[in-house]
Amino acid sequence: MLSIKNLHASVEEKDIIRGLNLEVKPGEVHAIMGPNGAGKSTLGYVLSGREGYSVSEGDATLNGKNLMEMEIEERAREGMFLAFQYPVEIPGVSNMEFMKESVNAIRQQRGEEALTAAEFLKKAKDACKQVQLPLDFLKRGVNEGFSGGEKKRNEIMQMILLEPSLCILDESDSGLDIDALQVVADGVNSQRDGKRSFVVITHYQRLLDYIKPDFVHILAEGKIVKSGDASLALEVEKSGYGFLGKKYEGETA
Amino acid sequence: MSQWLTKVIDVAQENQDFLAPVRQQAITQLQQAGWPSQRAEQWRFTPLTPLKDRTFSHAQATDSVSVPEIPGLDAIDIVFNNGTLVTSLDELALPQGVSIVSFAQANAQQQDDIKTLFGRIKPQAHVFGQINDALSHHGVMIDVADHAEITPVIRLINLTSADSDNHTRALVKLGQHSHAKVLEFGQGEHDSMNTAVAEYSIGDHASLEHYRFAFYTANAKAVGGTHFKLGESSNLNSTVVGYGSQLSRLDIDIWHSAENAFAKLNAIYLLAEGELFDLHTCIEHAQPNGTSEENARGIIGDGARAVFNGRIHIHRDAQKTLAEMNNRNLLLSRRALVNTKPELEIYADDVKCAHGATVAEIEGSELFYLLSRGISRQKALVMLNFGFIQELVNDIPNKAIASWLQPKLSERFAHMEVK
Repeated sequence: MLSIKNLHASVEEKDIIRGLNLEVKPGEVHAIMGPNGAGKSTLGYVLSGREGYSVSEGDATLNGKNLMEMEIEERAREGMFLAFQYPVEIPGVSNMEFMKESVNAIRQQRGEEALTAAEFLKKAKDACKQVQLPLDFLKRGVNEGFSGGEKKRNEIMQMILLEPSLCILDESDSGLDIDALQVVADGVNSQRDGKRSFVVITHYQRLLDYIKPDFVHILAEGKIVKSGDASLALEVEKSGYGFLGKKYEGETA
Repeated sequence: MSQWLTKVIDVAQENQDFLAPVRQQAITQLQQAGWPSQRAEQWRFTPLTPLKDRTFSHAQATDSVSVPEIPGLDAIDIVFNNGTLVTSLDELALPQGVSIVSFAQANAQQQDDIKTLFGRIKPQAHVFGQINDALSHHGVMIDVADHAEITPVIRLINLTSADSDNHTRALVKLGQHSHAKVLEFGQGEHDSMNTAVAEYSIGDHASLEHYRFAFYTANAKAVGGTHFKLGESSNLNSTVVGYGSQLSRLDIDIWHSAENAFAKLNAIYLLAEGELFDLHTCIEHAQPNGTSEENARGIIGDGARAVFNGRIHIHRDAQKTLAEMNNRNLLLSRRALVNTKPELEIYADDVKCAHGATVAEIEGSELFYLLSRGISRQKALVMLNFGFIQELVNDIPNKAIASWLQPKLSERFAHMEVK
């Protein structure tokens, strides 16, 4: 599914990712944990192709195709989905119009017919209910005036509608209370079907109580320094990131 | 002097009708003032070069013109083709309370009514207004009776299907407590010159829902005006949409001639590559307690130029005036240009007046968000920019017009490149 080999990436000439390797197979859930500044969000942006993030070495493939040679929208159409840590507000563009456009762009790539307005509306309503957002959120501007938790749920709603093959969740738990966290996790879990893969980026172990990972990786200073199963996350929660070195002492997970 | 203006004056002098005295006055002014200098403030950013030595051309109306269909719109259509009135006004099925007569067919009484409106609302010193005064033999007067509620939208449609000089006129009088809807529509891409002028007198407590869509493109030249006089406690809601062409200029004047009137003006302009569109608005608050809200928003393509000049004049007696004006522009390239200028003249001391203008480029994080969902760059840009225009489209009171307009605008935008 996703294969990252010796990836090096920089932002404004500052090296952030420094030799990262990761193999994600179909159906697997990988958690990437790490202290602040480890390069967690950068990884999500590099994979999705955000401008300003340049790759100097190594490569990443999705379903065997070189991601770095693809435009941002092509990566999405190939099945990648990034749930943003800070979803952008776009007043004037309705959530509904945005998601319909997006779903149909991806369906077209898969060789499927575009959904009619009525077909899409039904799917959107179902997804909206599933993440427990009121239906009028479909008509509002994209993320416009949404609370932090509502924005995160809106991301999960998009994920449900787009049916990606690889979901990267960038700190989808940050700023959520326990109820909202439960909704987000339920949304994610409902999409686990044995084929779809997930990369769950998080600072805290808490989210992993709800989304059970198959693998846990610790990212520090741009590379994976330790990998293990779910018990690694619990270990980090207990003892913090201090084991990574003096400067991380006292940083909890 | 310009070759074209000389011909305009010749043609005007050959044709005389019951409006001769006022037409002659305009001709005299044109002769005295001559062709505007490029240094004149009015034309500083809008070169008149494409007009100066133009060949004056008269084109016949063609047999069939296709009038834009707006699905679901109940409309009364008055059509001008190549400057000639082609609708038989006698055959129109009009609701009670409205009468429409052409200048050519007006009886003595109607001629008197026309004379009391013609040239009385628009500003005197505008060269193209004077040209229209001199040449507008094809014109109509629409009279809405006191207390009449006219539901259908009266459409004044100017279509050009050949290289031509088109100088049509509309006079609209709304009686007290009446309500009407008027859409002025202009379209053409031929090498035509269009000076459609409309003057509206909105009676006390009357309300007008108004639209002016200036869809001139390519080689068309359009310099027109819509001028409103607001009576006491009257209400105006106007939406203006302009495309750009070789030379497009529109003057909107709103004159609060009595107390307590309310005017709202929303303007949208979408300029494709190399086009020019100039919007001059002037709001005259001559009396107290008036309100005006103006929003002009434009998207300007590569090598295109927009001009926005928004004047608000609050007279000494116009206390308690509330006037707001805002102009927002989005440039699609480094070679897109807008000259935006607010012009505030305030002589009353107890007023609230606010104005603002912004010029922006596209926000990178919004674009990334849409692209990361698989939406193509072109489509994403349309959606983002449409958001900016969408608010004004959503504000259009007539839903049939709004739903017809929206895809037209997004289609036009889809052909504009972001560089």
